Amino acid sequence: MKKTNIKKNKNIQTAVIKNKTNMNKYSLGFGLSLVVTNLLNAVILVVKEVSSSVMNVMKAALGHHWTTHAVMLLFIFVVLGAVFSIYEVGAKWDSRKLMYYISGSVIISIVIITVYFLPYLIVK
Amino acid sequence: MLNQGFMMSHVLFGVLGILCAVALFMDVLNASGKNYQRIKMLSLAVAVLIVISFLIGGYWYVTYYGAERDIIKAGAWPWAHNFFMEVKEHIFFAMLLLGIYLPIAVYKNIPLTNRKNKNLVLAICAMIILIGIFMEGAGGIISKGVTIGLRG
Repeated sequence: MKKTNIKKNKNIQTAVIKNKTNMNKYSLGFGLSLVVTNLLNAVILVVKEVSSSVMNVMKAALGHHWTTHAVMLLFIFVVLGAVFSIYEVGAKWDSRKLMYYISGSVIISIVIITVYFLPYLIVK
Repeated sequence: MLNQGFMMSHVLFGVLGILCAVALFMDVLNASGKNYQRIKMLSLAVAVLIVISFLIGGYWYVTYYGAERDIIKAGAWPWAHNFFMEVKEHIFFAMLLLGIYLPIAVYKNIPLTNRKNKNLVLAICAMIILIGIFMEGAGGIISKGVTIGLRG
């Protein structure tokens, strides 16, 4: 009887460990922030290239549109990372899901940026 | 001369960052208690080197690149700026953010012997390496664009 109980407890413990998320709240929070910031990078690029008023505002803000773009992204990454970590957004996520989202966001942003500038490669 | 010095150190720190990412990739593949300290050091090194490369490259781009851009655009390879420089300067942000996130993923995502945790760090390293290789190639094309532009 005792042996059966010990075995049952061990099985329960193993199940709990297997189901438990492997991720620390900072690792997850800043990982999610990375996903959002990567996508925002492509969005900001397209918006500033399409809208000359946005481009002018970004140039005026820190002297160069690229500098403003960089500071905006770093600021958003840090703030969102802190917020997501504190509020433990996506607490049930595991490393695998985060890996897919990070890889996806990087691929999507690279494709948007490349496709946006592709006509300049073809047309002189 | 200062212009060239900034450019060369930007490339140097970028290449060192990529090499550390390659070393980290191999170490994480063989992660154990023995190499965990080295894994932590390498993840920090990647972040620091990429940030230094970003700061130097950013300063060079804002301060010196304007004149070179005009040479490239007047030459036979205007697309070296219009496509490669534009793509490079924006895709670099993905590499920068991945580099900054890397030590957070390593320090706060233990144990690395866990397959899922290991794959997350490996994926980040792989993306840094691939984007880094593109950065180096694009940089080469841009500098060739300047050379061709100067020839007239």
